[in-house]
Amino acid sequence: MPTTFCLNLPFIYPIQLLVMIFRHFVEFYPPYKPFLRYQAEQIMNMKPPYFSIALLLMLQYAAFGQQQFTVSGVVRDGENGETLIGASILALPSEIGTTTNEYGFYSLSLPEADTVILEFSYVGFQPIRKVISLKANTKVDMEMGSGVQLEEVVVKANAYREQLKSTEMSVETISPREAKLLPVAFGESDILKILQLKPGIPSGAEGTTGLFVRGGGSDQNLIVLDEATVYNPNHLFGFFSTFNSDAVKDLKLYKGGFPAQYGGRLSSVIDVRLKEGNNKQFSGSGGLGLISSRLTLEGPIQRNKSSFIVSGRRTYVDLFTRMVNRANEGVEDYSPIPDYYFYDLNTKLNFELGEKDRLYLSGYFGRDVFGFDGDFFDFNFDWGNATGTVRWNHVFNAKLFANTTLTYSDYQYNIENKLTGFSFNLGSNIRDANLKTDFFYALNNKHTLRFGGNATYHEFTVGRLKAGSDDGSVSFSAGNDYDGVEAGAYISDDWVASDKLKVNMGLRFSGFFNDGQSYFGVEPRVAANYSMTERVSLKASYARMYQYLHLVANAGVALPTDVWYPSTAAIKPQRSDQVALGVSWLLGKDYFLEVETYYKDLKNQLEFVDGAEIFANDKLENEFAIGKGYGYGLEVGIEKNEGRLTGWIGYTLALTRRGDFKPIDDLERFSDTGYFSPVYDRRHDLSIVGIYEISRKLAVSATFVYGSGDLRWLPGGRFTFQDVYGGGFQVVTPDYLERNTYRLPAYHRLDLGLIIRFFPKWGESDLTINVINAYDRRNTFFIYLEPIFREETDGQNTIEVPERIAAKQVSLFPILPSVTWNFKF
Amino acid sequence: MQRIINYSFLFLAFAVTLVSCNLEQEIDINLPDYESRYVVECYLEPGQPFSLLLTQTASYFDPFPSTNAEFLDDILVDGATVTIAHGGQTFTLQNGLFFNPLSRKAYNYLAPDLVPTDYEQSFELNIVTPDGKTITATTRILRPVPIDSIVVEFLEDDTLARVLTYFKDIPNEQNYFRRMFHEHSLDSIPLQDFATDDRFVEDNFVFGSAYNFAAGDTVFNTIFHIDRPYYDFFNSVQTAASSNGNPFGQPSPIISNLQGTANVIGIFTGLTYERVMTIVER
Repeated sequence: MPTTFCLNLPFIYPIQLLVMIFRHFVEFYPPYKPFLRYQAEQIMNMKPPYFSIALLLMLQYAAFGQQQFTVSGVVRDGENGETLIGASILALPSEIGTTTNEYGFYSLSLPEADTVILEFSYVGFQPIRKVISLKANTKVDMEMGSGVQLEEVVVKANAYREQLKSTEMSVETISPREAKLLPVAFGESDILKILQLKPGIPSGAEGTTGLFVRGGGSDQNLIVLDEATVYNPNHLFGFFSTFNSDAVKDLKLYKGGFPAQYGGRLSSVIDVRLKEGNNKQFSGSGGLGLISSRLTLEGPIQRNKSSFIVSGRRTYVDLFTRMVNRANEGVEDYSPIPDYYFYDLNTKLNFELGEKDRLYLSGYFGRDVFGFDGDFFDFNFDWGNATGTVRWNHVFNAKLFANTTLTYSDYQYNIENKLTGFSFNLGSNIRDANLKTDFFYALNNKHTLRFGGNATYHEFTVGRLKAGSDDGSVSFSAGNDYDGVEAGAYISDDWVASDKLKVNMGLRFSGFFNDGQSYFGVEPRVAANYSMTERVSLKASYARMYQYLHLVANAGVALPTDVWYPSTAAIKPQRSDQVALGVSWLLGKDYFLEVETYYKDLKNQLEFVDGAEIFANDKLENEFAIGKGYGYGLEVGIEKNEGRLTGWIGYTLALTRRGDFKPIDDLERFSDTGYFSPVYDRRHDLSIVGIYEISRKLAVSATFVYGSGDLRWLPGGRFTFQDVYGGGFQVVTPDYLERNTYRLPAYHRLDLGLIIRFFPKWGESDLTINVINAYDRRNTFFIYLEPIFREETDGQNTIEVPERIAAKQVSLFPILPSVTWNFKF
Repeated sequence: MQRIINYSFLFLAFAVTLVSCNLEQEIDINLPDYESRYVVECYLEPGQPFSLLLTQTASYFDPFPSTNAEFLDDILVDGATVTIAHGGQTFTLQNGLFFNPLSRKAYNYLAPDLVPTDYEQSFELNIVTPDGKTITATTRILRPVPIDSIVVEFLEDDTLARVLTYFKDIPNEQNYFRRMFHEHSLDSIPLQDFATDDRFVEDNFVFGSAYNFAAGDTVFNTIFHIDRPYYDFFNSVQTAASSNGNPFGQPSPIISNLQGTANVIGIFTGLTYERVMTIVER
């Protein structure tokens, strides 16, 4: 049968699928069996070619004639009851395996046997074997042993085995352990910054969390926190992400080969899952850092049945700046330092409602607050996300698992400025309500189906401006409200076609409806894995994605004032097609090598027209130009996640271009008519990351990054602008021509970390000492151009005469040490 | 918005200062070859002579000449044929170096004829450059918009006042204005100088100052009524000048209203304005 399939793949596949669903239907509803026999007789009487198809159908059925049973269950961390995502389950001796899904659930169809050995493994845990007798569908929940055992750090888990066999490619994961141990600026552990160390994910401006995945824009990343979309994952212009590592359980980033359940963004999906809370005992953890403090409390509501987790953090630079301001009160010429702080709050509750049902409630609320009070003004600027998730897991039977989620998500910014007698208020907002349901159907040991759908209601307020005098004699207002519905439905099958070939085929239908305008997209997704040997797999994937929402963002860093804008009659949805080819290679016992190459084609890309006005503009879409893009590259990653020394080396060679931009409004213009490199078109990107556990009490870590410099749009020429009477005379006015023709000097940096652990009676604590930019490299944060004048005396007058123009480079970090104290009880 | 960007920038500057130790250094930059372009500035002000400044751009990092004469030699373009046609008449602008002592502005093409006060008919510019290329443009002069009132407001128990400038928008049409606000004299650097459109404004415009003026101070309020090409040009010049390496800004190429076979940037526009001088009184 496998041979037949390989030869006739496109033709046979849908038939095979139908047969299996049919067979399953019969198996679960025995009264229909006589009907099936009748069908078989009918088929035998058919004439060719119907006969041959029917025969094939029968062969399929016959092939599944052997009695099979299903083992299913949930895999958890024995210490705290957290479900484990991506834990590997292998049945021996058949070597049929699977992994747990995002909810910790697995289902494995196996032939009837007196003895089956199930091996459960997960990175950082001792593998566990359990012997069962398989005479009926069996439920096996597993609690893995306690966490990393530091005395014997070498914890074996054959984690690469499933990775080698999986059809998933172009995937990066970050564990909380990596997030905790790797050095980061100010000791503020940040999972998005660690993602930037993976191949194919160059960062934005230095120190920021922007991600430009495989040549895509920073707005093309779908970031979901417990399945709720996070529209702006940044604090302080992207220097910190909104994800508090203490509360994060798992993070997975897809840069290609997107599974059909994901849609809505072109370049990546970042799926962040929060911890559920310890359901065994009350515990807490936290940290005191240079600029912020964190505290997480978790525990059972009802032991082993329900739990909660509350996690918060807040920066406190503002407390010091206020003290400085108070100390300088009344000092002449002293300008007070503005107030700034941010905070995050994550909460989650989960309840086991019975054997088959589990309910989760989770929420996130975060704000950045910036305030500046002067004698005659009072300026306040705040922005942030709020998300809420209600999730219900239901196990219908050993083969069918469902997850239904209702999410709410809100991003807004507000700027308020009060002058004596006048006030000014500018804000934007995007609000979503999303209902989605996903089914996992482990049809048999060859097919795992996923299907489901979602509908999202979006509400946008773009550039709401209110300004005017207190007495009402003057008032301005602007802004638009939009709404839209985005919907998707998908089906995919993870199919074990043969011992060597695995194929994941999926199809997603998506649509967007806004003010009488509707768009539809058909998004095929295919990924295949061919095992050449036990150690080498070839992988290939193709994915089409549609993006119906667009980020109105200025060049440079992530500003909180970047707003989302829906597709309209004039702004068509963005579209991408990506193919990737790769090879995965298990080297020796501990090393895993992945080499991937990709090509990505982008349609309906947005750029601003020259001199665009993006604030409080009622006709914002006239400020856009629509064009195309493409990118290709090669990524090499080698990693080791077991043993005293863990880490990875990633290298990316990439190119990306955008071009052919045409303004929507005929009156506007776009200066570059050809193709140009976006600022993040980075040719080479190398990262080396290592963590070494010296002993139970001591660990060291280091990261080294090297990347080609980003591009900048610098003026080609200059001219003298005289202006009219009363206006300023500018000797040097820049004349900007082609975009992004200047490449900044190469970027490189070494960061070091030292973790000293203590084990007091009440729990555990550590001192994390980080040295960022260890060899004090001056990397470019931005450059500015400054005319240099010399003084000349003309009679009694001294005048300044321009001499030359200097280019000045500004760096963000010198060598930057920090200490953080973390605790756990 | 500029204010927000400035605040953001200020904060970032503060953050950088916190950790700074010699974080700034000069670097060498090699840019692609640059081909010089013509630059035209021509403002038709009713009652003033036809005058035009024709210059050329230089490569951005080229050193400046060491004397003023050399500087002028470098930038001024002589030997072009410049005419402005209006209402069946063609005015030829003569090449030379002309300095207006009142406005302190210099021009290298001038006709003695005065620009007529004609808000209806268009003006057409034609330039043939020394290398035989053409530059053309068309514009009209807009009616000035009167300033309704200038209000000086003192804070209670304080010696400092602010100055508010009121004027009416022209209803049912898209209008653009340039606002200038000077203290002491028009030769000083303006305290405020920006262009705006009327999309937020229902009927009344008001521009205000900070509480910075004491009794006896002199301020000048100027409201230019400008057209869309001048608005785009002025804003693009300001954006180009201010986006100089600012990580929060996006550079802008110069948006001009000149056509022809020459590689050119610049502006050809009518210029009308209302200007009020006010002496601050309690």
